[in-house]
Order: sequence, then structure tokens, then C-alpha cells
Amino acid sequence: MTQENALKIFKCLSDTSRLRIIQSLTQGDMYAELLAERLELTPPTVSFHMKKLEDAGLVISRREQYYTVYSLNRVVLENTIYEVAVSEPEQIDEQQEREDAYRRKVIRAFFEYGRLRAIPVQRKKKQICYELIAEHFEPGRVYEEKEVNAVISPIYEDYCTIRRDMISEGIFRRDGTRYVRLK
Amino acid sequence: MTEFMAYLESRISEGKEEIVTLEADSRKDDAIFARIRTNIYDVCRTVSLALTDRPGAGSDAVRAQLDRFRTEWRTALEKAKQHDEFRAVAVEETKLAALEDIIAHFPEVTKA
Repeated sequence: MTQENALKIFKCLSDTSRLRIIQSLTQGDMYAELLAERLELTPPTVSFHMKKLEDAGLVISRREQYYTVYSLNRVVLENTIYEVAVSEPEQIDEQQEREDAYRRKVIRAFFEYGRLRAIPVQRKKKQICYELIAEHFEPGRVYEEKEVNAVISPIYEDYCTIRRDMISEGIFRRDGTRYVRLK
Repeated sequence: MTEFMAYLESRISEGKEEIVTLEADSRKDDAIFARIRTNIYDVCRTVSLALTDRPGAGSDAVRAQLDRFRTEWRTALEKAKQHDEFRAVAVEETKLAALEDIIAHFPEVTKA
């Protein structure tokens, strides 16, 4: 187990409701509606807790007809607190980690369900947003202008500005009405 | 409308108490959802007050606004489901559940 997983487990369990869910599941596998009834929680709240418990690897879900049934992941739960606490930190490049976190933050702030809310004013943020949009294009492939517009317009209504900016940022190379993604 | 407004106010004050209890019980996420629920009752109370005071508006305008909320939030819920955003799904479901409760109390109170 990595230190990141250990942190996820500890964070997840530092909540009374999630501990009560774990306690209920020790009595047997259950579906979300039954857990909601037993713990006097609303079904959306229980689904939210279950997703967090699943992400931490503490529960496993399976589909049974119309229901999602949850069970404890005993492999993880049978670790002792000592084993979890002394887990090894992952070998990570801290600079890269910081940059990735910043990128995620910018994307979260400027995109909603894949649509760009507004063009960022700051150049670094703008580059991050344009790099994400560029992922819709295959590097090296030649695109006609109308194809480029068709890809960008569902992401942001002012697709002309985006298209032009992506050329000036060196993401696209334009040759007449043809475009090639460079990076 | 007086009883309806009293209902909303009682749900808001119950919600506020619930938030304090949940936070004290180390149930931070449950407290967040309780706050979302309470905000919906508060928003509906504010909208109802504003619309009933407006000349020519009244309870029909309030009901129409609640229906508009329902349409908007159902769309938001569908979007969240399509994008597999579990947090947004839970938030939109919580908002809609509160709104359904408010709508369920609306005709009952106004008929009386």
C-alpha cells in the first residue's frame, strides 16, 4: 500500500457516517437504499459516501438486477493500522506533482462538463486550457478549417478566437485553410 | 401562502440545527448536504416572498418559478450523470429532493 492510499483511507474513515456504514456492512452485503433507511440518511448522501469508500478501496460494489450491492473489501480492512500507517511514500517528482495540481485546478475552474466557461486572461492558464482543447486533435493530422471549427465550437462559442490563439501559441500550424496540431 | 411560508421557515430553522449537530458529530459531508438542503428552502422562501409581494404575481407565479427550478436542476442532474461527476450528482439529487418536498407542500397549503 502506498502512503497516498493510506491517507485516502484515514481521511475517508474520519467521518462518523462512513464508520457507521462500515459497521453495517460487517453484518452482510447491502444495497444503498437499505443503508439509507438503516442509517437515516438520504439516498444521495449514502451514494456519495459509498463512492468515497469505494475510491479508498474499503468497499466493493456489484450490480444485482436494479440494485448496486455493496460489500466490505476485507483485503484492505484486514490490514492493521500499523501496516497502513507505515506505508511507503511514492517516489514522485515534486515539481511535476505541483504542476499537475495547478493544471487540474485551472481546468476545474475554467471548464464545466467539457465546455470552456471563459478564456483565461493569464497566459499560463490560457495555455493549459488550449492544451486541453488540443487533445481533441490528432498530432500531425491535417484538418480543414471547418473541421477545426466543428471540434472547437461545442467547447466554446467564440471558436475563431480560440483557433487564432492556438496558432499564436504554437499549438497549431496553419497553411492556408489547413491546420496541423504541433504539440 | 402564510402556512406555506411558515413551513419553509420551520424547515430552515430545523436545517440550521441539523448542520450544527452533524458538524459536532464529525459528519462533515452530511453537514454539507444539510446546508445544501437548507439553502434550497431559503431560496424558495426568498423567491416566494418576492413574488407574492409583486402586484399581479401571487401564488401562480411562485408555482411557475418552482417548476422552472425543477426543470433546470433536472437538466443539471442529467449532465452530471452523463459526465460521471458523483459529487455533482449527489448535490443535484439533494436539491431536487428538497424542491419536491417544497412542491408537495405548496398545493396542499394553498388549497386549505
